[in-house]
Amino acid sequence: MGINADEWSRAYGPTVARATAGWLHWPGDAFRNRIAAMNDPMPQPRRRSDRAYLDFVEGFRDYLLGPGANFEARLDALVEQEQARLGVPLRDPEQIRTILEARPLTRLRNRLTRTQQEMKWRKIGAAFDEQREELAAELARYDAAGPGRLELDPGFEMPAYAHVEFHLQPGSYWQDELSGFLYHYGTKVFFRGDNDHDELHARLVGRVPPPADGGVRRVLDLACSVGQSTTAFKARYPAADVIGIDYSAPMLRVAHRRAVMLGSDVTFAQRLIEKTGFPDAHFDIVFAFIVFHELPLRVIHETVREAARVTRPGGLFAIYDFTETQAKSPFQLYHRWWDARHNGEPYSQDFCDCDFDSILATHGFVVSAAPVGQRSGGAGYMKHWFATRS
Amino acid sequence: MGIRSIDIQTPEGGTPLAGADPVYLEDPVLDATVRMLVELAAQVWVERERRLALEALLVARGIMTDGALEALQPDAELQQRLKTERARFIEDVFKDLRRIPL
Repeated sequence: MGINADEWSRAYGPTVARATAGWLHWPGDAFRNRIAAMNDPMPQPRRRSDRAYLDFVEGFRDYLLGPGANFEARLDALVEQEQARLGVPLRDPEQIRTILEARPLTRLRNRLTRTQQEMKWRKIGAAFDEQREELAAELARYDAAGPGRLELDPGFEMPAYAHVEFHLQPGSYWQDELSGFLYHYGTKVFFRGDNDHDELHARLVGRVPPPADGGVRRVLDLACSVGQSTTAFKARYPAADVIGIDYSAPMLRVAHRRAVMLGSDVTFAQRLIEKTGFPDAHFDIVFAFIVFHELPLRVIHETVREAARVTRPGGLFAIYDFTETQAKSPFQLYHRWWDARHNGEPYSQDFCDCDFDSILATHGFVVSAAPVGQRSGGAGYMKHWFATRS
Repeated sequence: MGIRSIDIQTPEGGTPLAGADPVYLEDPVLDATVRMLVELAAQVWVERERRLALEALLVARGIMTDGALEALQPDAELQQRLKTERARFIEDVFKDLRRIPL
């Protein structure tokens, strides 16, 4: 089923819409409506006041990122002005930082950006901790239910590189039994209400071009977290085996619960994306949504190598992640510098600095298209890579 | 019990992380002031949302008439509850005072 071109253009901008015309396979309104009709796809804080508080944070975040506070456009203009005065392009984040942080506006923007993130996690954490017993029981109720399967590895060893509180989430993705619920509600606020029913995941999955020969029997969703893209793939390819893997058991349990509620027959397994254990050339499509910027450089290389091993010749590796350093505006260069340090993204700078296209090429992928996305705080922050296994 | 957090973060290379309580403005007092201001805005919205929802409910059910809220005199139990809620409200908004370093 095709998606309305106008809707696509509104969501991603005309350039991206043109670049990907003909690939679009919206998993369908039926999928979105099923999620919307689910009884409790994303547990809510019990108290109305906590929900209202988080609703404020969501709105405040939108205000900070958008035309409300209008920080980015004003700070961008400031750097442009400075560039014009100096007569040279500003590309060194430290130099841009010196210019920007000399202004109280930048420092206040940083204070407010950090504050809304801290407020979000403090409130979600406190609210869900109060509901710990019933939320834990809710997960236990679904672990062995079907359709679909949950495969946790009791001997799983968490790699040291995962001992980081990404985006300042307390306990990161995996330390607390409720980490999956925290993450899901946290991303609801992060996406400013635009992904409450997996709309973003459905769109991204809808944009993945099928392999040229059209055959899709198996799909692997790398670092699937709470499984929103995994179930979207199943909705798009109902006859395919769809597997989501992640290192976090609490995430996978939430993913499985959601899939069962959706009636989506998918498998969630606790495995490392750099060492999946699947047979060679096993998958027709491998998908990686915003994970590469959260891996150390060593694991970036290992994961691409592993993806190349498990993707069949002619199969597709689809990635959605941060744009590379060279493509960033001066303000975006600064934002990456700041966000890496102040928003728990220690690996993101290395990912943006690395030559990801050449890493893909080294391991036998040919990038057929790499359109820039429009989402997440403004144009130019996110990018797709659609790479075919040679 | 609280959410289990990671005591010692062990990133493999990458960019050094800022500490738990970075200071962004010229003076930690200013940082605390801004945090308190945003917290206060959140609390004001929480109250406003609740009041609007409540008033809509009461009117929809024909329970409340204009002026009844203004005329209400709290009894002892309600007074005690309001005191407790007041303490919680003050803690929520002003807890950042404790984060200002010596």
